[in-house]
Amino acid sequence: MTHIRLRLNRDGSEEIARFDLPDDPAESGISGTWEGASVSTALQYLQRKVDPSLAYVLSCRRGLCDLCAVRIDGKVETACTTPLRDGMLIEPTRASLQLRDTVVELSLVRRHRVA
Amino acid sequence: MGSSRIWDVVVVGAGGAGLTAARRARESGADVLVLNKGLVGRTGATITSGGGISVSGNVLAGLGLDVDPTDTEQDFAEDTIRSGRFISDQSLVQSMVEDVGAELGALMAMGVKPRVSKRAPGHSSGRGVHVTGPDMQKAVTTGATRAGVLFREDFLSAGLLRDAEGAVVGVTGLDRRTGEVAEIDARAVVIATGGTTSNWRLRTAPEELAGEGHAMALEAGAALIESEMLQFLPCCVIAPEIWKGIQFPWTIGPQAGVRAWLLNRYGERFLQRWDPVNIELATRDVVAAGSAAEVAAGRGSPNGGVYLSWAHLPRDIIDNMPLWSKSLSRDGRYQGFDFTPLIERIKAGYAIEVAPAAHFSLGGIHIDVDGDTGVPGLYACGEAAGGVHGSNRLSGNAGAQMLVQGARAGLAAARASRRNGLPAPAVNRAELQERVRAPMEREAGIAPLEVAERLGALTDSALSPVRDGTRIDAAIVEIGDIRRSVLPQLAVRQRDPGYNRDWSTAIECRAAVDVLEAALLGARARGHSLGAHQRTDSLDEAARPAPFHGLVRATGGALVHETRAVAFPVLAP
Repeated sequence: MTHIRLRLNRDGSEEIARFDLPDDPAESGISGTWEGASVSTALQYLQRKVDPSLAYVLSCRRGLCDLCAVRIDGKVETACTTPLRDGMLIEPTRASLQLRDTVVELSLVRRHRVA
Repeated sequence: MGSSRIWDVVVVGAGGAGLTAARRARESGADVLVLNKGLVGRTGATITSGGGISVSGNVLAGLGLDVDPTDTEQDFAEDTIRSGRFISDQSLVQSMVEDVGAELGALMAMGVKPRVSKRAPGHSSGRGVHVTGPDMQKAVTTGATRAGVLFREDFLSAGLLRDAEGAVVGVTGLDRRTGEVAEIDARAVVIATGGTTSNWRLRTAPEELAGEGHAMALEAGAALIESEMLQFLPCCVIAPEIWKGIQFPWTIGPQAGVRAWLLNRYGERFLQRWDPVNIELATRDVVAAGSAAEVAAGRGSPNGGVYLSWAHLPRDIIDNMPLWSKSLSRDGRYQGFDFTPLIERIKAGYAIEVAPAAHFSLGGIHIDVDGDTGVPGLYACGEAAGGVHGSNRLSGNAGAQMLVQGARAGLAAARASRRNGLPAPAVNRAELQERVRAPMEREAGIAPLEVAERLGALTDSALSPVRDGTRIDAAIVEIGDIRRSVLPQLAVRQRDPGYNRDWSTAIECRAAVDVLEAALLGARARGHSLGAHQRTDSLDEAARPAPFHGLVRATGGALVHETRAVAFPVLAP
């Protein structure tokens, strides 16, 4: 069974949670194996089917916008272009930027924002 | 909940069109707030675009670029109209070809260095320039911030505030970070939310293009034009999951002029039946439709595609492809991926399973040359707006549309805001607040993602590159059922207000139902194949009507389709 570990952060409390992925990804409309899917696909699956409160971000799905950047086994990568590996640890890129779960503040226009 | 500030212009969406509108409005003196569903400069389709901008050669030569100076705006307009099979709104075409040079010049003055396109497929001349998607997004973001535009990010716009006369006076939406349902008051609103392609399962588009801008405009009284017209890019990867929707095989095959073969499961080069001369090098709408038709007829591959094969070519041709292909020379890297395993598979003699992916909304909100929707205070521009491309789009024309319409809508909205003075009070504040909150407050109901999944199956069945009346009719029945019995029951599965994805999915689903129903009504009304709208049950050619526009409006609580004759001020068929 493929599993991943996620550093979750909600309302100031933090934990590393283990999530098991089902043996047959096709049942969730995912082509092929989990190893052929991206970290983003796994996060999307988990929010849809396992933990509705999981926060993640995803936009371009092709490594261009960097919105989905996370720390994977210690290294910062775009989740959408990184294939899933059994047992991988997924964390926010920087604890100081963390907003919720793996979502961090990546705004490029922070100084031009209202609210 | 209402903020005290009244903005002159509020722009919804922060891609190339939205930020050009925002910058132009600000430069002409308006206070401008941009609302963006995600992070500005990162979300939206501009980043993922090929980066082409069509401009006629004579205009480019005037900007100091080395191109064919005999190419004119008229040539550019005629190519665009012919490619759209004569259903383009020719006034929009004319303003695009006439104004794009000035807008490109403005970008260049901001430091953008475009590369001249050697070849521009479908254009009669090597017309236009390239700026990569990320570079373009960076330029428009910098331009807007320098001009003094302000932003609200992670803000999902869900409805337009209107006064007693029906004029648009603001936006209601969800702050996705905090869960606040906020109201933004404005003298004029510009919709620049991009296309609706996220509602298709196989797509090149980013995640966020569900169609809220279209749905808000419809509800406020604007029309959608040519909603059934959707451009697909052929030969995108369908498996493994991580590469789904990436067009790499096309770039090292037909797009590069390499004679790779498209085969069905019997090994037949099926495009010989569609275009016996060009076969795989036919235009991309033909390749997309031909591929989808094989799958629909049960002749596809196991994952629902067809096979793109290089196996008939001598090994030397494949080994030497990196000499000619930029995609291959960069160590097999294309966009953010390493495609070395796919290239190795091709070298080992395997074909790649490919299918057409939803790429660009040709139709959209009906506007005039100033982005005016006809609803007082409401403007639209860019991919969110329809009409300029007709039933097919030439390469680079999305970039030209984005810049010209963005600028014109921004300037027109700023002018309107100066005329409008103090906006009248909105009469639908409570109604919008209640609607946005409903999925969050409902005790129990249907999870939004279930609707998203149903809509994905519906687009696959009825709004793929090939369509037929039976499937379209069945989908219209189904979407009516979703509207009546499912939307009123949408409920989140957990109630943390911040980063509640179920909540934003519920808002997106509601919009998706509107845009997909409009697309289905448009598809039903076009009984003949035309451009991107290919019907396997296309009616007798002898009975083909004169070119017409299809317009959908919300009338008396229902969406209604009507047709209108096309005007030909530039070029008649």
